[in-house]
Amino acid sequence: MQATTPVTKRVVYDDDVVRAFSLATIIWGAVGLLVGVLVATQLSFWQANLGLQWTSYGRLRPLHTNAVIFAFVGNMMFAGIYYSTQRLLKTRLASDLLSWVHFWGWQAVIVGAAITYPLGLTQSKEYAELIWPLDLLVVLVWVAFAVNFFWTLARRNERNLYVAIWFYISTIITIAVLYIVNNLQLPTSLTHSYSIFTGVQDALVQWWYGHNAVAFFLTTPILGIMYYFLPKAAGRPVYSYRLSIVHFWSLIFIYIWAGPHHLLYTALPDWAQTMGMIFSVMLWAPSWGGMLNGLLTLRGAWDKLRTDPVIKFYIVAVTFYGMSTFEGPLLSIKSVSALGHYTDWIIGHVHGGALGWNGFMAFGMLYWLVPRLWSTKLKSVRLAELHFWIATFGILLYVVSMWISGVSQGLFWRALDAEGFLKYPDFIEGLLASRFMYQMRLIGGLAYFAGALLMVGNLWATIRGGRKSTVEIEVQGYAHDGPGFWALMRGAPVLYSLAVIVLSLVLFFSGTLGSAIALAGFGVLVIAGALSIGMEKSRRSWHDLVEGHSLAFTVLVLVAILVGGLVEIVPLVVAKKDVPAQVAHADSVWAAKGEYVFVQMPYSPLELEGRDIYVREGCYVCHSQMVRPFRHETLRYGEYSRAEEFIYDTPFQWGSKRTGPDLHREGGKYANVWHYLHMNDPRSTSPGSNMPPYAHLKSHRVDLGATAGKMRALRKLGVPYQDAQIAGAGATARSQGGLIVADLATQGITIAPDSELVALIAYLQRLGRGPQPTAAAPAAVAAREVAR
Amino acid sequence: MSEHKTDELRGHAYDGIEEYDNKLPNWWLFILYGSIVFAVGYWLVFHTFSIADLPRARYDKEMVKANEEQLARMAKQGLTDESLTLMAAIPAQVEEGRQLFATYCVVCHADRGQGLVGPNLTDGLWIHGGRPLDIHKTVTDGVPSKGMAAWGRQLGPTRVQKVVAYVLTLKGTEVPGKAPEGVPEAAPAPPAAAAPPAAAPATAGAAGNG
Repeated sequence: MQATTPVTKRVVYDDDVVRAFSLATIIWGAVGLLVGVLVATQLSFWQANLGLQWTSYGRLRPLHTNAVIFAFVGNMMFAGIYYSTQRLLKTRLASDLLSWVHFWGWQAVIVGAAITYPLGLTQSKEYAELIWPLDLLVVLVWVAFAVNFFWTLARRNERNLYVAIWFYISTIITIAVLYIVNNLQLPTSLTHSYSIFTGVQDALVQWWYGHNAVAFFLTTPILGIMYYFLPKAAGRPVYSYRLSIVHFWSLIFIYIWAGPHHLLYTALPDWAQTMGMIFSVMLWAPSWGGMLNGLLTLRGAWDKLRTDPVIKFYIVAVTFYGMSTFEGPLLSIKSVSALGHYTDWIIGHVHGGALGWNGFMAFGMLYWLVPRLWSTKLKSVRLAELHFWIATFGILLYVVSMWISGVSQGLFWRALDAEGFLKYPDFIEGLLASRFMYQMRLIGGLAYFAGALLMVGNLWATIRGGRKSTVEIEVQGYAHDGPGFWALMRGAPVLYSLAVIVLSLVLFFSGTLGSAIALAGFGVLVIAGALSIGMEKSRRSWHDLVEGHSLAFTVLVLVAILVGGLVEIVPLVVAKKDVPAQVAHADSVWAAKGEYVFVQMPYSPLELEGRDIYVREGCYVCHSQMVRPFRHETLRYGEYSRAEEFIYDTPFQWGSKRTGPDLHREGGKYANVWHYLHMNDPRSTSPGSNMPPYAHLKSHRVDLGATAGKMRALRKLGVPYQDAQIAGAGATARSQGGLIVADLATQGITIAPDSELVALIAYLQRLGRGPQPTAAAPAAVAAREVAR
Repeated sequence: MSEHKTDELRGHAYDGIEEYDNKLPNWWLFILYGSIVFAVGYWLVFHTFSIADLPRARYDKEMVKANEEQLARMAKQGLTDESLTLMAAIPAQVEEGRQLFATYCVVCHADRGQGLVGPNLTDGLWIHGGRPLDIHKTVTDGVPSKGMAAWGRQLGPTRVQKVVAYVLTLKGTEVPGKAPEGVPEAAPAPPAAAAPPAAAPATAGAAGNG
């Protein structure tokens, strides 16, 4: 595997690709923030939707989130990983070709996203909205990245892997697993597909992905970057090696379990909800371990805080990391989630992470890195200082205004009067109360964006004044003297951890759940203990040996991140009993005879098309479809949502934010004409609303020729459509549309039965009403068939 | 946190980066172990031994209590045509009703009750009956097939009565607006209108403005 005898080699680092990724970070960072400013403007002033379908909030918000996560932080991560990995391993990146495939492939993905989202091409799974051809491209690029990285590891001239590399390994492995599983889908056309998961399972898989995209795309790689760039900039040793070990392993093991905290009080089974909550709470200390190692590394370098903007950015970044990772576990506690979920508090939380932690880490890294990559000095330190203060002001104003509006929304929604009825029955009252805070948020965002523009100019001037550097070093190879793979796998910590995990699983699936969790927690304790005892020995500890064996290290990471996902997802996907398609008859006499009631029936062809329009327009971005079991929610919306109601929902549309009201019980609540007027001009029926107008749906026609194909795809996924239903899809849809058209005609409105608005109304009118006969449509069609 | 003697370098530098091997701070270990103990305890209480109620069970209990309270309140209020008419004669009650109407009803019935999407309330003709108790029933339960929301769940009985009191004051004001629909108050209410498409509400939902 590695060289067996030390030889002296000359190594020239590949910094060209690092320069390319750095430039991409700067450019996409500005773009992502600009789109953020635009969508924030839209929330305050609906006119900023520009009256165009392509620039409506529902389509642009995914563009904003994806641009910031994958374009800004993604490119920054790749720049940082490629720069530091070469130096930490004393070797050049293994393949120039793969490096450039990685770079251009990733930019192609970003451009693809920037084109497809405004066109309404989306899967509607948050931070995984890309359509399937782009998903394939992402996977290919990620494979190129992984091969390049692990190949570089194999050619290293440094015996042990430094802590930054551990975090990079966990990033590459876990993102691959998450991305592939969450994007399993059945294409119906080049741009459209259905998730192979439905309802509750889809929600669980999505938030296992969504939460761990935060963990393994926005946290672990950035922690790795912190472990390289922060001690470099401070010129100080890292505070504690053993803290690195303990917080690394506990972080990656625990993080993966925490996804269900996005689904508290939903129709997800209670055991999974509780898992999500308690593992989130246990995540607090492992996260703070990273913050501690960052902040305490700066001991003895505090004087630089006054003079070096890089250190300033890092300190604020790490502080925001600590704050967000305290806020996260707090919000995961069920009773806190009851107040904060669906509100702007969550928006404040994610921006504290994305702008405070990720953004400031990126700025600090760029101010340090760019002058070195172009062998020059930063053009203006004072401008960087100004950037720091403007950005700090911006993010603080942003986060605080979102806290205030989020908590007020939560309190508005739940407020009851003396008789126990809603104090503010009209949803819009809460929205109007947030309006001022939305404007404050916009100012905060603008300040942050302005700061970023200062950086763009400053770095541009820096680059123009410099020239590309080339770094060449002489290295000694090293003799691989550690034990082999299997010897390491037999190490006491591995066997110990595995035993605890296996024992936990046995107990878990045999029903004594409490004991299982007790053991899992016990396991973390024991691992931590065993590792720190190992550290006391003067000879090389087990962990030290594993650091010298990249394959063994990678396999252990893979095992650690698979456990949580498997335990939570497999039971739900395999055991359909959690989401029955039918329940026993409510009347005990009938139930005794074995009669049951279907709790859900497949969508009619027109409803299905309407649902696809709902997905395309990104309605889930502002509207949830999940009534939680709270008195104030059932008073406002109707009966709380149950798992079995979603068995034909693919992709699920539970949403995660209520800028508008929940829509799960929307069916039958308003007349067709209300929906017609509301879509045409939301403020005509809901004064003060900030919803974009959807007048274009009136004239657009649904392609009913494609409906049968969609139904066939869904049948493959388990939706029980009959042959006759599929064959008559177009006619059934026109017939159902005709009924809505006739109803609208009584109000003097003329519209085509296959217009998109009619399909959307059909879908909305069916929502949350359980099995609905699809009007008189099937009968009418049958009659017509007979007549022929 | 000044330098203290436990700071000991591990003796290897990665690209110039050295590492101490300091002990884990006690307060950090306390959070780590404490959160694990909390997690285990939470699971035992809510799942293994079911000592405390999970969300849905808790909700069910809360609703039973709420419904009992509601029943008691309704028994006390004893609504009649006369009591509502009496209310419509009390300016303070009507004023509160007017404010509620201006907030929740105005979208469909317009500012003076002359009707928009919803019918004209000032013309003396009624689709669902114009006696005080008829109006009270319409406001409370709604007419889902016509898009009239069931406000009883949202406003509660007292506020619904105030709205009805205000609507009673609109009777016969004959504000020009939506064309008359329905029958005069004296005539018996017609049978329920034929259900329009896809409108056989299984669960009569409450309304929230969108």
